[in-house]
Amino acid sequence: MDGFQTLLKFFMNQKTAIGYSFMALLTMGGERVFSLVAFRCPCSNENFRYGLVFLFSPALVLLIIGYFVNSKTWKLFTGCWANPRKIFPRGNTCHFFYIFGQITLNALVAPVMWLSVALLNGTFYECAMSGLKNPTYLNAVCHSKSEKCFEELHKVACDKSSMPFTESDELKRTLQAQSQILGWCVIVTTALLSLLTTCCASCQSKVSHLQLMFLRVYTEKEKEKMEQIFQLYATKLSERNLKCFFENKEPEAIPLPAFQAWEDASQLYSVSSSKQYYSTIHKLVEEAPKGINEETETMMDFVDRRETS
Amino acid sequence: MDELRRALDFCVCHQTILGYSTVSLLTAASEQIFSSVVFKCPCNSGNMLYGSTFLLMPAFILFLLGYMVNTRIWRLLTGSCPPENHCSCSPWGTCTQYCLVLAVVTARALVAPLTWIAVALLSASFYECAASGSSLMEDFVCKGKGQECRKLLVKIPCDEKLSKDITAEHLSLQAQSQLIGWLLIASIMTVALIAKCISRCDSPARYRQLKLLKTYSEKEQELFEIKAKEHATRLAEINTNYFFGVTDPVPFQTPSNEDWQNINSLYTFNSKDQYYSMLHEYVNTKRGKSNESGQGGQ
Repeated sequence: MDGFQTLLKFFMNQKTAIGYSFMALLTMGGERVFSLVAFRCPCSNENFRYGLVFLFSPALVLLIIGYFVNSKTWKLFTGCWANPRKIFPRGNTCHFFYIFGQITLNALVAPVMWLSVALLNGTFYECAMSGLKNPTYLNAVCHSKSEKCFEELHKVACDKSSMPFTESDELKRTLQAQSQILGWCVIVTTALLSLLTTCCASCQSKVSHLQLMFLRVYTEKEKEKMEQIFQLYATKLSERNLKCFFENKEPEAIPLPAFQAWEDASQLYSVSSSKQYYSTIHKLVEEAPKGINEETETMMDFVDRRETS
Repeated sequence: MDELRRALDFCVCHQTILGYSTVSLLTAASEQIFSSVVFKCPCNSGNMLYGSTFLLMPAFILFLLGYMVNTRIWRLLTGSCPPENHCSCSPWGTCTQYCLVLAVVTARALVAPLTWIAVALLSASFYECAASGSSLMEDFVCKGKGQECRKLLVKIPCDEKLSKDITAEHLSLQAQSQLIGWLLIASIMTVALIAKCISRCDSPARYRQLKLLKTYSEKEQELFEIKAKEHATRLAEINTNYFFGVTDPVPFQTPSNEDWQNINSLYTFNSKDQYYSMLHEYVNTKRGKSNESGQGGQ
């Protein structure tokens, strides 16, 4: 069991790397499935549109899913209609764009992985570019080939052209080579940009590296504790409500934080070098020592939901 | 179970070497996958660009990844230029420290890319494709053989028989690639040995002390993580309980921002003080100062 624990601990420590590798494998698998099962190049003048749709639509879908699964998105937008000042606080209008930028960068990981895998494979690009009717591009691709190349390039992807095999094979290889070079360029550019942005963000960080590591651990633990306490209170409250409903008894008081406290606790936290706070809740707790405004829930008038204590 | 435990202990003892070997094996495996599944030399004038892209771009990406996963560089960079200072940072005194750390981190980050290049050269497909499209190779191999030779040279990666015909008097492209690969491996090993000798000669600590230093760093890192988790759990419990009104505020001692800043910088061992880490130095000097102030107050 000890050995198993050590192995498990090792894998938990490497969870970022394992997560990204798993995502990469999933993308590769998904791309393979798509190109074998769903993708059928039409080999007509519609090649360009078909190829581009298959290349970019999954990327767009992955981007939207990335926005959906990021909890910061919902922290930013929840309740913004009722209180627009929450997103654009006075004196700090760039705050929204900064946070949205961070969320977008996180969400872009999966689409970029899809694009690089799809370009390295070459099928979608080959189909799309064989249907491009741009004269400059056609001259560049067909420059030492027969006249048929200009008219029948779009049939090359399905091996249905009347050109000799060597010529059509060379055209296919050229298109695939272009696709793979583009794929590598996408990967290199992304890697370089992410290293530069991480560097800039790290340099401008208000706290040191070790404290930042502690902040991450604390955020995780606080999330866990909140889940536990939500479960506990939700169970208690629902038990009490159902008991009172079925047994027709007076409900006993269960104190819960006030609406304003929930509103304050839902703000996105930004680290400050002067204050020693690790989260919004930590800040609330330290700055409000007289006690969070408690709402005595039993005194609520259920008809118009006002406090009637 | 005993054997499994012994095997795991062995792995933990030699984890650096095992780590580098795993990285090298993974790089070699992915190179094989790439060259057999993905790589298709176009056999035309684009050979040089295609071959060199497959040879050099993955190496560059692995190099960047090597930087990203190295914690030393982030420990040095994080918080080094906060917006309050308006970027009037990096005094000259710490420039040598930055350069030294950057040199060490670069050397470690170079392991994976050089493995990729070496394995790629040994398996020869990328070099063969790139060289068959290069004008230097054209001039060398096709001297006095006319235009036909140049046209056929780019087709070599797609047709093995052509290689024997055209490069009969010289080393074949594949042989050239493997020769360069072995030379690269030999020179890297030599440079690594010389660099290690120089760093050991220059070291302020002795051999056995270096071992203790390494073991101490690992143990401190391990215990730091455990203690940080415990501390974070206790603090999170106190805060969430107070938020829900379960308990009253409980005083809880947590290190200040200044304490964190003081233990953050990278430590260089010196034979005079004999501290084994920044934490060790900070704890000893802080306790010394607080003892003095305690006595002064009496």
